[in-house]
Amino acid sequence: MNVNTEIALTYLSARKKQTIIASLGVMFGISMFIFMQSLMKGTNDYFEKMSFNNTPHIRMYSENKVADNHMMTSFLNDPSVKILTNPKQLIQSQGLTNPYGIIREISSKPEIANVTPQVTANVIYTSGSVQINGNVAGVNIDEEDKMFDVQSNMVTGDLHALNWVNNGILIGRGIADKLSLHTGDNITVTSGTGSPTIMKVVGIFATTVKQIDETKSYANIVQAQNLLGKDRSYVTDLKINLKDYNKASQVARDLETMTGYRAEDWVRANEQLKAAFKIRAIILNSVIGVILLVAGFGIYNILNMTIYEKIKEIAILKAQGFSGPAVTSIFLQQAIYIGLMGGIIGICVGFGITYMVSRIYIGAGTLKYLPMSFYIPHYIEAICFGILTTIAAGYFPARKASKVDPVTIIRG
Amino acid sequence: MADIALKSTNVTKYFHDPVTLPVLKNISLEVKKGEFVSIVGKSGCGKSTLLYVLSTMDRDYEGELEINGLKVTGKSLNDLARIRNESIGFVFQFHYLLPDFTCLKNVMIPALRLGKLSAKEVEAKAYEKLKMFGVEEQALKKANKLSGGQQQRVAIARALINDPAIIMGDEPTGNLDSKNTGIVFDLFQKLSKEFGQTIISVTHDEDFAKRSDRIIEMADGEIKSHG
Ligand SMILES: Nc1ncnc2c1ncn2[C@@H]1O[C@H](COP(=O)(O)OP(=O)(O)OP(=O)(O)O)[C@@H](O)[C@H]1O
Ligand SMILES: [Mg+2]
Repeated sequence: MNVNTEIALTYLSARKKQTIIASLGVMFGISMFIFMQSLMKGTNDYFEKMSFNNTPHIRMYSENKVADNHMMTSFLNDPSVKILTNPKQLIQSQGLTNPYGIIREISSKPEIANVTPQVTANVIYTSGSVQINGNVAGVNIDEEDKMFDVQSNMVTGDLHALNWVNNGILIGRGIADKLSLHTGDNITVTSGTGSPTIMKVVGIFATTVKQIDETKSYANIVQAQNLLGKDRSYVTDLKINLKDYNKASQVARDLETMTGYRAEDWVRANEQLKAAFKIRAIILNSVIGVILLVAGFGIYNILNMTIYEKIKEIAILKAQGFSGPAVTSIFLQQAIYIGLMGGIIGICVGFGITYMVSRIYIGAGTLKYLPMSFYIPHYIEAICFGILTTIAAGYFPARKASKVDPVTIIRG
Repeated sequence: MADIALKSTNVTKYFHDPVTLPVLKNISLEVKKGEFVSIVGKSGCGKSTLLYVLSTMDRDYEGELEINGLKVTGKSLNDLARIRNESIGFVFQFHYLLPDFTCLKNVMIPALRLGKLSAKEVEAKAYEKLKMFGVEEQALKKANKLSGGQQQRVAIARALINDPAIIMGDEPTGNLDSKNTGIVFDLFQKLSKEFGQTIISVTHDEDFAKRSDRIIEMADGEIKSHG
């Protein structure tokens, strides 16, 4: 063992109490760091996953356009003529033109994992004398399930029944409660453009979002087309999932230029979610910063005290030929060992706390336990931060020690 | 001249507190290799101050200092630290040991710093040195659990551990009885005669001084006699 290390360790063990208190400070900082990072990542991941339960990575749809007069103006080609118009939404099918062609084209792109068409119809649900507004998502239920895990939301019934029950419909729990419907009951569904259709409830689902449960239902895409009185090529939305959802905004822009339709990525659709992530990250980082600062100050303090007490010994070491860098190393090593000890214990404690908290039953909606993530990089980051803090805190006292002038001290 | 261990030329040193006063005035001296020199003089005449300059610890002086024919005045702190570690053993006026370490470790540390021998070899050598001064039983005791005289002997053992070319002592026998003073003197003499190590020792012990090779007498910051 290097003699500097040996001296550093002797000094540390000669003042066990202070050493332990200083490393407890570091331990506290590191374990809080890990706990809070795990909680935040767990929560963020949970909300992100939740949002993907009803939002695709990219939704492509045809945007309503307002009629303008630029075509007319260029036709007349006479700037002195002013055309007055009363702009209105174009009365136009809101569907995509040649949706299956687009699907084929999009699916061939390497970033894309799934593409599924959807027909969205705004409808009125009627049962007996009660009416409520809502919307029917006409989908291919197998693909829908693959992309959004519809199965996990099912309360009763079988979602695959949509494939073989004629006029089958899956309704949200809110609708079922309001209209007091059960699996097997009939429900009348009316869209703005089609005729009222009697459909059969084949299942009931519940998401965490009340508003969705009170309005949304799933039907076979053909049923939805029928409801609207449209033909088989009528598709309102394409729902697209990517292999890496972090690339969504880039891919969405590409798709917009490629198809001319609007492609909205999940980040834009969930801007408040992203804002919440950011705010949480700021809060978290400032709390961690304060904790590490306090831990660092503890180390700074103990080293300063040691140096104050041992100034004579430092002088003797220097008289015997220990150079400035050797003395720096002796004291910096003490800081590093305090940091390492606190860091290693802190990692274990941090993991322990994270694990324990992840077992706490919450029972809010589908959230049974607090979402904690166990993410290795957090632990590596924690160690790095801990070591950086201790080095920063130990550097100044160590430098001070290395500058001790032996003669002044020994002469007394 | 190759056989000069230490040479100072016109070394002058001032203290500025409370007023600027010269403590060492134009000190020029030469000590040959293997010589055993005593420095004597009244208390406060500047003996310790001179020794700190000669040991390269104090760099705040005017004049020039050579050790083993090498000019050390103006060398960097790190170079001087290495020179002290390798070639100079110093016994302080008040036996400064490191209280958190055992006597054995105290003796070993300069050798471990030098790093020429393995830890095992250093330990064996340290034991041997402690034995010479009759303190080997204290080897595993913490340094602050020893009597003053025992501590001083451990401190001398520590000064010898790296077989330095020059051994400097500031009243190395100040705390010792006549028997142990005798042991230290005989050992110093043996080191200078048999191993050619140079000894420069400040002392108030007239007998000790008389028996050494040469006495340098100081008064009021000047050398009165080169012996
Ligand atoms: N830091 C200092 N500032 C100012 N004057 C000092 C300082 N240290 C020592 N002196 C003065 O310098 C002179 C020489 O001191 P030094 O310690 O060299 O004496 P000494 O010969 O070793 O005495 P002793 O035999 O008592 O050890 C003394 O007059 C002392 O008062
Ligand atoms: Mg003195």
